[in-house]
Amino acid sequence: MTTLISIRSLKKYFPIHEGFLSKNTKTVKAVEGVSLDIGHGEILGLVGESGCGKTTLGRMSINLIKPTSGEIIFDGVDILKLDNQALKALRPKMQIIFQDPFGSLNPRFTVERIIGEAMMVHGLAERSNLRSKVTEIMQKVGLPNSFINRYPHEFSGGQRQRIGIARALSLNPRYLVCDEPVSALDVSIQAQIINLLQELQEKESISILFISHDLNVVKHLSHRTAVMYLGQIVETAPTKILNKNAAHPYTRALLAAKPSTNPKESRDHIPLRGDVPSPLNPPAGCYFHTRCPEATDRCKTERPTTFQLEERHTVQCHLYN
Amino acid sequence: MPTRPPLLNIENLTTSFYTNDTVVQAVRGVNLHVNQAEILAIVGESGCGKSVTALSILRLISMPPGRFDSGQIKFNNHDLLSLSEADMQKVRGNDISMIFQEPMTSLNPIFTIGDQIGEAITQHQSATGAEARKQTLELLHKVSIPSPEIRIDQYPHELSGGMKQRVMIAIAIACRPALLIADEPTTALDVTIQDQILSLLSSLKEDSEMSILLITHNLGIVAQFADRVNVMYSGKIVEEATVDSLFENPMHPYTRGLLNSLPKDDSELKLESISGAVPHPAFLPKGCAFHPRCKDAIPRCQQQPPLTNTTKENTHKVACWLYEEGGEDPQ
Repeated sequence: MTTLISIRSLKKYFPIHEGFLSKNTKTVKAVEGVSLDIGHGEILGLVGESGCGKTTLGRMSINLIKPTSGEIIFDGVDILKLDNQALKALRPKMQIIFQDPFGSLNPRFTVERIIGEAMMVHGLAERSNLRSKVTEIMQKVGLPNSFINRYPHEFSGGQRQRIGIARALSLNPRYLVCDEPVSALDVSIQAQIINLLQELQEKESISILFISHDLNVVKHLSHRTAVMYLGQIVETAPTKILNKNAAHPYTRALLAAKPSTNPKESRDHIPLRGDVPSPLNPPAGCYFHTRCPEATDRCKTERPTTFQLEERHTVQCHLYN
Repeated sequence: MPTRPPLLNIENLTTSFYTNDTVVQAVRGVNLHVNQAEILAIVGESGCGKSVTALSILRLISMPPGRFDSGQIKFNNHDLLSLSEADMQKVRGNDISMIFQEPMTSLNPIFTIGDQIGEAITQHQSATGAEARKQTLELLHKVSIPSPEIRIDQYPHELSGGMKQRVMIAIAIACRPALLIADEPTTALDVTIQDQILSLLSSLKEDSEMSILLITHNLGIVAQFADRVNVMYSGKIVEEATVDSLFENPMHPYTRGLLNSLPKDDSELKLESISGAVPHPAFLPKGCAFHPRCKDAIPRCQQQPPLTNTTKENTHKVACWLYEEGGEDPQ
């Protein structure tokens, strides 16, 4: 598989100013030196708990948030070095679907305008053929044509998420960031949207960064999975291998914590202790050592580097190095 | 099988909301019971009436617009719906207590957590401030909050989400209630924290023989933590069974649909989703509320709401015409 998007040592630090006129600033290290590759037509799952930086990483990867440092090579071009005009020309190739289907659609626009606006902006449709182009995309995502003149408040969560998907697909993107697209939906609707994403991905062979905290959904959908903890990628592997042979203690804890839907499966693991440390004041050494059941003295002082376990299986942990 | 009578027995409960132009029946003739020292789960999608059922038990529904149209809620053989407000206040927090979904907004931001836990104790027991503080420290210890001596004087904003939910649990168990209602206790929390909270709840149940009514939409939590389960759809219980029986042999098409829409461990096949969406409670379809989405619907489903059938072993109940006399098992 050839690489479509390649992220190199990407960092994002948010400064926090304390008090009026105060020079005393702290930084939240939301993303700390992340490197990732996403292949053509690959679905990469990105999992982690809230506050670990997965949304920041996803938005940076399409330049919605400017990184502090690092490189994002999209199809051979570093998108961080482009001027606004060149970036605009590239925008249709990179799209995003948001988590909240209620907040991400303009309540004053009809479905036609929500889906069609970007096509007009990028010159992919004229006023004369807009309607036919919009209905074509609506059919693709399973929305009846009769919805075209309606407003977002008239729809349920699942239908709104379909509108969000239609809007993203209207520009024929090659790379799509899905930021928790199903976590606001009920189980029965979740399955509909997952199936839709899977179908569309297979048909159009889009590369997807699928951000989720639901390990079952990621396992079902993604070819490869990256696990994030406090701004760092701690493990990446093909999804099947990750679920069978998770190497990082954090990945193993996440998998164990996920309640199985088989009542016969016993729950004999010990829950992970403590909370995720604040990214304002992360611990020294390995960020996970405060909660890690296998931490050694080395973990408390020395930050682990990324270690290649097997082909395409990397882990950031002293246990393997 | 339990020999003691059920701790809580709800019979034919209907809770409605009367607005200017419509009547919304959020709970429509629900029958359920919670045995002593068991975890009963109510599972269903948003808007199915599971939270309204829980709030009805504690009579926390604001009236108007809410109203109990019919039914009895028997707790230790006393009907909670016929108690005076003053007597009901003695039940709340003392015999039955509740933890909510949002630990972030369920605590009062201007009181320390020690004050808030202590309030539950002084309200219901004749304890002095010093005694209450001592008990509060014990409770914080019991719900595994690290360094309770420091935490007791902190405010909610100084605690993480998981920690706040532990404080909520401490308040709820302060008076050793016989029944704890947990309404989506872990939905707002991360998986590793969810794991901690659920382990804590089940160990509390083991230690104190408390019963728990666990409301959730997560079938994984049901499978791992509950003893029995009720599946709710559009204000009705559609299936009731022990957890093993439900996951082994789901009977109602809705339950089957829910289980099939979950990503399976070892399958890359497409998920079987339930088509359509949950109907609006003010505009429910005639007959069985699930029939417009049901793959196995028969003409009768459009006409009459189904009756509840009991299997021979008397533990697995289902409200579906497919299992009526003469009906066929769709499998």
